[in-house]
Amino acid sequence: MAEIRLSMTPEARTVLGDLLRLAAPAAARGAVNRARLPEDDPEMRAAWKASLADSAAGECAFLAGALSGAKGNPAVVVLPDDEAAWTMLRALSAVRLTLRETVLAGVPDEALESEDGATPASGLTAEEGHALACYDCFGLLQLALLRQLDPAA
Amino acid sequence: MPKTKAKPQPESAVAPAREPVWRVVVANDPVNTMPYVVACFVRVLQVDTAEARRLMLDIHRNGKGVVWSGARERAEVLVLQLQQWHLRATLESDG
Repeated sequence: MAEIRLSMTPEARTVLGDLLRLAAPAAARGAVNRARLPEDDPEMRAAWKASLADSAAGECAFLAGALSGAKGNPAVVVLPDDEAAWTMLRALSAVRLTLRETVLAGVPDEALESEDGATPASGLTAEEGHALACYDCFGLLQLALLRQLDPAA
Repeated sequence: MPKTKAKPQPESAVAPAREPVWRVVVANDPVNTMPYVVACFVRVLQVDTAEARRLMLDIHRNGKGVVWSGARERAEVLVLQLQQWHLRATLESDG
């Protein structure tokens, strides 16, 4: 069973959960917009779009619920099974992509490629700084989850 | 008994249509981490970790790469699944 321990205050988790609920529609739109869809079948195209939007929105809702429902200090997110862990991994990816395409759209790629949580401090607005902190944090959560799911990978 | 010569069959003027090969192409992106992409390939393409890592590195070095090829129906399913994992997957064919 996958388990993530987070050192976050209850207030921070509540704020993050609320932000994720707000981000869900943008994540759903982004999932559809960035996908190149088959063009020769309008019916299939519509179903394809709906599938992408539904899965991204559902993943974000799952992640928000998991974070806001975490118990203890540090907060512990317990995922019931591996399938839930995979859903969380996809959600973290959806939110990172959404942050990249919205608040962090003006930040160069090289400033975002650090995977060790080191954030470039200079030249960012406060909003960009907060978004980058979330972006890095979610990347680290992804790595932690992947290590639990497959320690040999 | 006289042997009858088999009547030669007329050759078909039209060669049988070849089914186009459909390719699942994944483009590099700067957001998804290498371990995440490897995990996606293992889950969606049902390949082992070594092959998933090889595919990921090919995409990382070349900007994009073919991760599967074959019949259209299966290729469509894989593209949709990879897009649901938030990878930049597209469908291409040689037809």
